[in-house]
Amino acid sequence: MSVGPFSDRARVDALAKVRGEARSAADLTLPRLLYAMTVPSAIAKGTMTALPVEAALRVPGVVRVLTPDDFPAPPPFTEDGPPPPPPTLETTIAYRGQPLALVIAETLEAAIEGAETIRPTFASEPFACVMESAGAQRQPAEDVAFGDVPTALSFAASTVEAIYDSPTQHHNPLELIATVAVWEDGQLLIHESTQASSLVKGAVAGALRIDPARVHVRGATIGGSFGQKAVQRQTALVARAAILSGRPVKLVQPRGQIFHTATYRTRTRHRIQIGADAAGKIVAVQHHVEQEQSPGGYFAVSEYHRDVIRMYGVQNYLGTGADIRLDRQDPGYMRGTHPQPACFAFESALDELAYKSGRDPVELRLANDTRVDPQNGQPLSSRFLNECLREGARRFGWSRRSPEPGSITAPDGSQIGWGMACGIYQSATTPAIATLRIDARGRTRFAISGHEMGQGMHTAIAAVLLEGLDIDPDGLEVAIGDTRVAPQHMTAGSWGTNSVVPAAMQAAERMRSAFAELLGGRQVSGNLHRKLAAIRRPFLQIEVSTLGPGQDQSALEALRQGGFAVAESVYPGFSTFSYSAHFVEVRIEPGTRRIRVPRVVSIADCGRVVSPRTAESQVYGGVIWGLSHALREATEIDPRYGGYLNVDLADYVVPVNADIGEIEIGLVDQPDPLANAVGVKGLGQVSMVGISAAVANAVFHATGKRVRELPIRVEHLL
Amino acid sequence: MQPFSYIRPATPQEAVGAFAQAGEGARFIAGGTTLYDLMKLNIERPRHLIDVSAIEGFNRIETDGDRLRFEANAAMSAVATDPVVARDYPVLAESLWKAASQQLRNMATVGGNLLQRTRCMYFRNGAGGIYPCNKREPGSGCAAIGGLDRGQAVLGTSDTCTAVSPGDWPVALVAMDASIEVLGPNGTRSMPVADLYRLPDTTPHVEFTLDPGEMITAIVVPKTLAGRRSTYHKIRDRESYAFALTSAAVALEMNDDRVERARIALGGVATRPWRAPEAEEVLAGQRLTPELALAAGRAAFRDARPGRHNGFKVELGARTIADALRIAADRSRT
Ligand SMILES: Cc1cc2nc3c(=O)[nH]c(=O)nc-3n(C[C@H](O)[C@H](O)[C@H](O)COP(=O)(O)OP(=O)(O)OC[C@H]3O[C@@H](n4cnc5c(N)ncnc54)[C@H](O)[C@@H]3O)c2cc1C
Ligand code: SF4
Repeated sequence: MSVGPFSDRARVDALAKVRGEARSAADLTLPRLLYAMTVPSAIAKGTMTALPVEAALRVPGVVRVLTPDDFPAPPPFTEDGPPPPPPTLETTIAYRGQPLALVIAETLEAAIEGAETIRPTFASEPFACVMESAGAQRQPAEDVAFGDVPTALSFAASTVEAIYDSPTQHHNPLELIATVAVWEDGQLLIHESTQASSLVKGAVAGALRIDPARVHVRGATIGGSFGQKAVQRQTALVARAAILSGRPVKLVQPRGQIFHTATYRTRTRHRIQIGADAAGKIVAVQHHVEQEQSPGGYFAVSEYHRDVIRMYGVQNYLGTGADIRLDRQDPGYMRGTHPQPACFAFESALDELAYKSGRDPVELRLANDTRVDPQNGQPLSSRFLNECLREGARRFGWSRRSPEPGSITAPDGSQIGWGMACGIYQSATTPAIATLRIDARGRTRFAISGHEMGQGMHTAIAAVLLEGLDIDPDGLEVAIGDTRVAPQHMTAGSWGTNSVVPAAMQAAERMRSAFAELLGGRQVSGNLHRKLAAIRRPFLQIEVSTLGPGQDQSALEALRQGGFAVAESVYPGFSTFSYSAHFVEVRIEPGTRRIRVPRVVSIADCGRVVSPRTAESQVYGGVIWGLSHALREATEIDPRYGGYLNVDLADYVVPVNADIGEIEIGLVDQPDPLANAVGVKGLGQVSMVGISAAVANAVFHATGKRVRELPIRVEHLL
Repeated sequence: MQPFSYIRPATPQEAVGAFAQAGEGARFIAGGTTLYDLMKLNIERPRHLIDVSAIEGFNRIETDGDRLRFEANAAMSAVATDPVVARDYPVLAESLWKAASQQLRNMATVGGNLLQRTRCMYFRNGAGGIYPCNKREPGSGCAAIGGLDRGQAVLGTSDTCTAVSPGDWPVALVAMDASIEVLGPNGTRSMPVADLYRLPDTTPHVEFTLDPGEMITAIVVPKTLAGRRSTYHKIRDRESYAFALTSAAVALEMNDDRVERARIALGGVATRPWRAPEAEEVLAGQRLTPELALAAGRAAFRDARPGRHNGFKVELGARTIADALRIAADRSRT
């Protein structure tokens, strides 16, 4: 199918958001609503020996306190069954901040006060909560390797080796994690800020031992998610409270608790060794990574190698690693996920190699182009990284750069540095099942899987439908994020838009044929609604489903069952990745060494651009967060106490407007010929990956000082 | 949360009377930006709130005569944008507008500002007795000492507490030799702003020298030509909306390029707004050069006692003073 460029369209939900009309889960009020608050554990490991609730029950307005006794035993774990749901309330304590009880009350104030009166007693055990802690368990991970690294390195003309550190970070979307559970007529309806409504459904059904057919989950407008809002421990607690009380129950988790219960970007340490031949071709890469991990955490070390391997045409790669098992809650996916710290390390090391071998960092990368997936030799379906590099260099004015570190000084004495780096992220696909219905009264309804978290999926779907169908834009409803309207995939990993857009495209085509068939050659004037009215058909409805490359019907079945049906982007016969190239200028004050970033140019290859406005907005967000990863964010852990210390937005430093300079964005907008019918690839993650290395490389260029740990702060440069 | 009573007296006298009557657990409240925050963190648990924000005309800004006088309820944003303050006392204006955010500055008062409490994370996040903290729970110990102390003080610390005095405005006031007017059950008195703050010593939970029931009614700043050559220079972990890592309030009396007299006070590095006479002495009567400015900065930190992660504040603080001196000196005399 050939598709022309898409025109710019406003966000479909922009007006509602600006006017405050968009409703998220926490906004929901219902008759007879009860408010909930959890009681977090004060210790990091051990057993709760007593949970006195009398004082809480005496607080006026408190209705009930749920304790571990109110929950069924966890379901038995089976190897090939669905993933185990998060635990509910337990007396065994695995991390500080673990919820121990849930207070429900007529008002939020009473719930909070009730929760504060509960002081459980504990039998504490020794714990380990950071890599360096005594008692931390080191568990080697599976190697990812091809070629012959030692031999290749022994022939390399130049090599670099260094260790890079990326800190613990928390997502901190503005919207807190909120659940409202309603139990009515034996049906459980959950409104939640979630990017994975089907997984929430399965987890709650599993934890509470309810038939999944009776559980429905709706993730309406989500105020930022970034990987945090998948499956929460709190959902089953709130659902159980609704069942026991027979009233709707709402819990909006305070930010300080979210730090302790939700997933987070875990701290990693990467040792990178790169060897290149005399012509600047990278001949071998060795990458060892260790990460902080929970006792049962699944966030896989091996994935740090998945993308970085495929950035350049590297023939020899040895990826090793280990989990450091600690008494913490599970780490998880956070925007940029594994490639985020991996590319910080790898692209910093590449900059070191460029300096060591006397090459321009852009030239070095251009020279390491590849058309094939180096791990398996199959073609890459599209790789426009070199286009990103050339376009970025041109817009930034890279050719004017004098490579010598510390060689550019502003009139006020500030040191100026220009740095660059690249990003990569897999372009995975999930199947989709959709229903499109157009009626004679001007309404169109498209129901499909997916969640709107501000990334613009809603707008992208609308763009495709309005481009392909002559319908009334004001009557278009895109129904997503609701297990009642269509099977829901988890919207994450940059596979959302590129999976639903082809389904929308196919639905539009199918609908056009259905109309052609219906009209049978008759000439009826007007848009599709008018045509239906003219021939007295109340509506026309079609269904479509799409699959990822190499997937068969079993993937659709898995999607219907609420399972995880994602095709990773090393597809049968070809591999598909998205790319980005970032150019950053830093200015460092002569005295107090504050680091400013007046200018960024960022170019991304995300295949076909379906919704230019929301796509660019994704990249702005990615760049800003990348700058934040480089210069601001770190969650502090005091190993003596466990838990997290800087648990609010005053002390967990994210950028403010004054931190953001000029950001220029470009999108290559070349369709991928194989990944899907529209040629779309993922964008959300790749727009952030690599920025932090570009900043660190710019800091080196400005000062001659190589900072290998994040965030880079004034004290590194004093 | 615990229940509390709430009244809005019409005059300062009424407010002080109401406080005396309410007794144990009474608190004044003005903009509420500190107090409500601390109530949510379970640090403050007042039983009676005496809201002084409705007192008529308690927010006057007077700039006539030989002093500036700000009544306690004047909003931070109002004082920061007062034309005389902005023109003749940049150190005062900047200390206000580099603090918090516009929304907060619109709510917060210059009186309440003087009594904000430390941002020490162990103090703020220790609900449920998780972290020992002598300020929160006298005698329980100090988690910050030997802990994550990047943000802690290096000057004026004791073995019981290293918490930074967080405010910017008090630092500028201390540099400008300001004083406060206080109304209490026993009438009015006045004292230098510098004397409002105690060192932690062995009683870090006692932070201020106000007697119970005493209310700040006004802040008085003697006028000086040095105001024009002044600045509040603040270094933080992001460009805006953050407390100081280091800050310096500087005002200079100059004779050509010679410093006749310098006033220097520091924020972000000390347990109370910190006047730096050692630095002032280095400059007195000297020609201001970058080297001398840095020497003055270093002199201010001669007695610094850094912990594990805040050693950088010593050098950063010295350079902050040096930069502030340059910025102030560059300001025109006219
Ligand atoms: C997110 C955030 C960021 C901030 N950033 C900064 C910053 O960067 N720099 C900075 O300096 N400050 C900052 N602040 C603090 C802010 O400046 C103070 O909260 C504010 O000035 C307090 O004024 P208020 O009128 O709201 O005081 P309130 O909260 O009403 O009162 C504060 C205290 O003063 C007492 N009080 C109030 N009025 C009187 C009176 N007339 N007499 C006696 N006692 C009185 C109260 O009992 C209470 O103990 C920040 C605050 C927040 C919430
Ligand atoms: S420094 Fe002071 S406020 Fe902070 S934990 Fe120690 S005693 Fe408490």
